[in-house]
Amino acid sequence: MTTGELFLQQLINGLNLGAMYSLLALGFTLVYGIMELINFSHFNVFMVGAFIALGVLRLMGLDGQIVILTGLPLVVVILVAFVVTMFSTGMIGVGIERLLLRPLRAVTGPAAMILTIGVSYILFNIILIGVGGDTRNFANPLPSVSWHFGEATLRLRDVLIWGITIVLMLGLTYFVQFTKLGKGMRATAQDPEAARMMGVEVDNVVGLSFFIGSALAGASGLIFGLYYNYAKVDMGFSAGLRAFTAAVLGGIGNVPGAMLGGVLIGLIEAGSSQLIGQAWADVIIFSILVIVLVFRPAGLLGRQAPNKS
Amino acid sequence: MISRRSAFKAAAGIAAAGTFAVTEGAQAADKTVKVAMNLSLTGADSESAIRVGNGAILAFEDANKYGEVPGIKFDLVKFDDGTATAGQYDPAQAATNARKMVSDKGFIAALGPQMSGAGKAMSPILSEGNLAIITPSSTNPDITDPKFAAQYRPKGKAVYFRTVTTDAYQGPNMANFLAKTVGIKSVYILDDSGAYGVGIADSFQKRCGELGLNVLGRDRLDPKAADYSAVLTKIKSLNADGLYYGGVAQAGVKLAKQVAEILPKIVRAGGDGIYGVELLKGAGFPAADGWYASNASPHKDDGDKKMKEFSDRFNARFKGSPDDYTLTMYVAARAIIETVKVLQAGGKPINRDTVRDGLQAIRMANSLIGPVEFDENGDLKNKVISVFQVKKDASKPLDNMDDQFAYIGVAPMS
Repeated sequence: MTTGELFLQQLINGLNLGAMYSLLALGFTLVYGIMELINFSHFNVFMVGAFIALGVLRLMGLDGQIVILTGLPLVVVILVAFVVTMFSTGMIGVGIERLLLRPLRAVTGPAAMILTIGVSYILFNIILIGVGGDTRNFANPLPSVSWHFGEATLRLRDVLIWGITIVLMLGLTYFVQFTKLGKGMRATAQDPEAARMMGVEVDNVVGLSFFIGSALAGASGLIFGLYYNYAKVDMGFSAGLRAFTAAVLGGIGNVPGAMLGGVLIGLIEAGSSQLIGQAWADVIIFSILVIVLVFRPAGLLGRQAPNKS
Repeated sequence: MISRRSAFKAAAGIAAAGTFAVTEGAQAADKTVKVAMNLSLTGADSESAIRVGNGAILAFEDANKYGEVPGIKFDLVKFDDGTATAGQYDPAQAATNARKMVSDKGFIAALGPQMSGAGKAMSPILSEGNLAIITPSSTNPDITDPKFAAQYRPKGKAVYFRTVTTDAYQGPNMANFLAKTVGIKSVYILDDSGAYGVGIADSFQKRCGELGLNVLGRDRLDPKAADYSAVLTKIKSLNADGLYYGGVAQAGVKLAKQVAEILPKIVRAGGDGIYGVELLKGAGFPAADGWYASNASPHKDDGDKKMKEFSDRFNARFKGSPDDYTLTMYVAARAIIETVKVLQAGGKPINRDTVRDGLQAIRMANSLIGPVEFDENGDLKNKVISVFQVKKDASKPLDNMDDQFAYIGVAPMS
């Protein structure tokens, strides 16, 4: 492997990691942007999403590594899996918001955040009891297409994970910036009181942001499964911590910031594994986070959060 | 059957003789003695935990059923050191369990833990309480090393006994095997940052130096991370012949999947941490194919009559086949039963102090894993490291260890 090939391969590795972290950071940052709530249940909604996706693929007869699909069947299967998974986790998010968080909305302080930690552990334990603690193999219907640049390899699923992340990010940005509901969301983010007076259904907007955020977590769960070919009950914690860091690094509440933060962390992780050692990756990531926050407390692209009066 | 009935008669004879010597207490209704069993029943190692634990369950059930120690009933109490948060064993939970065992005087001995990280947390507490434990599978050498006696057995006496050989042999013997039998020239070493993983990788690395096997690097994996492609790409760029992984299944199965993709040709090996169903099920085929794994006990020989009788009995009770650490657990439980039997026959009181001293002196010439005797540190005197390799046998169930792990042989000692 030449240095150039090695660099290219690590760049691809870093972008893959980054795409995964960005995806997970998107839903997280969205809810923060609307409600100024750090929703710790997000990461285990992601985990539940992976298991729902696993179940959906099994129901469609895809189990283990045996069935490889191409063309239209592949697109249909993946689309169905996305729709069902995203809708299911979206509804879990709505449930959490409607049943547990809404009664707490008037309460200031960390109560709501602590509640999301509790919900996170409840989801974790439901899966632990229901499915068990071992690694479950995910169906892998993607054909193993890859392109070679010398000894560096770019696989179809690398391209897929980048593509899906970019599409979801653009879609989310468009939705928040240009649709009526999106404007309602931004209005709520700026000042819920004033938004309500202007005729925005604040309750619906908050519910919607939870639906979208959790649907994105479900999508990430499915992509994680397709990409790494496993689902496991503790998968939310480590990926979640990086995603949270990505969101803060990019500027929490800021959609492009989440993307930037995720990609940066992915690249730093790959780079430090190559140059120093995987063992040091976390030290380096969090050192950079600390340095960035010292000089830019609002993150790289600035923080967006409701103005609480 | 005959052997069992005669054993029963012999035991009954001892009991009859005992009544002359001992006070009326021995004649009274059966006394129940409690034995604690600490396993990682929650998390990544739960499946092997159940299989290992069944070895002890079978031993005590049989002892109770046939009244092997007259006047004594064994009560096996399970403890779980796995937690949902850790996703595998949790040393803090293991320490809590050890405190519970020590504070209940009813416990005369303990079995477990599976994992060295748990053992390190438990051993000092058990030493304070003078409660002996026999581990079927935790192989980190430090726990019984006299160098660390102040840390792991502050009271001085050995309380941590093993029916397995330690990584002081497992790592180095695998290095011998890779260098001499397989013939690789260079190797990259990874560990999973756990007590077991780091220890076994260290001992492997040290032996590589002695053998002149070129160590290209050493790195540490986060067992909860999903993606190891960056470090594997680095290994690829170094053109390593071999990859040694010191660690357990949690990182191991993910590693195996990614190694298959990024380093399809590399010679890959690990310790007993990957010798399990988890590798077959979690990584699956073709990713699991080709991995060498060592085990710190002799391999059960299916041709052996005694072994077959045991396997049949196990299968009849639990509907499945025992693995090698089921055997070491069974033998550990047998060591406790034999010790209690000796104490009872000698008319001695049965409590944790006498049981510890009894275990130290026990001699089982002909157990399922060969001669069992403990040295003054609690280590097994008879040391054997077995080597296996995953070789896919499509005609058999793909998640059965016996079918998919081919026994290669005993690793060279030097």
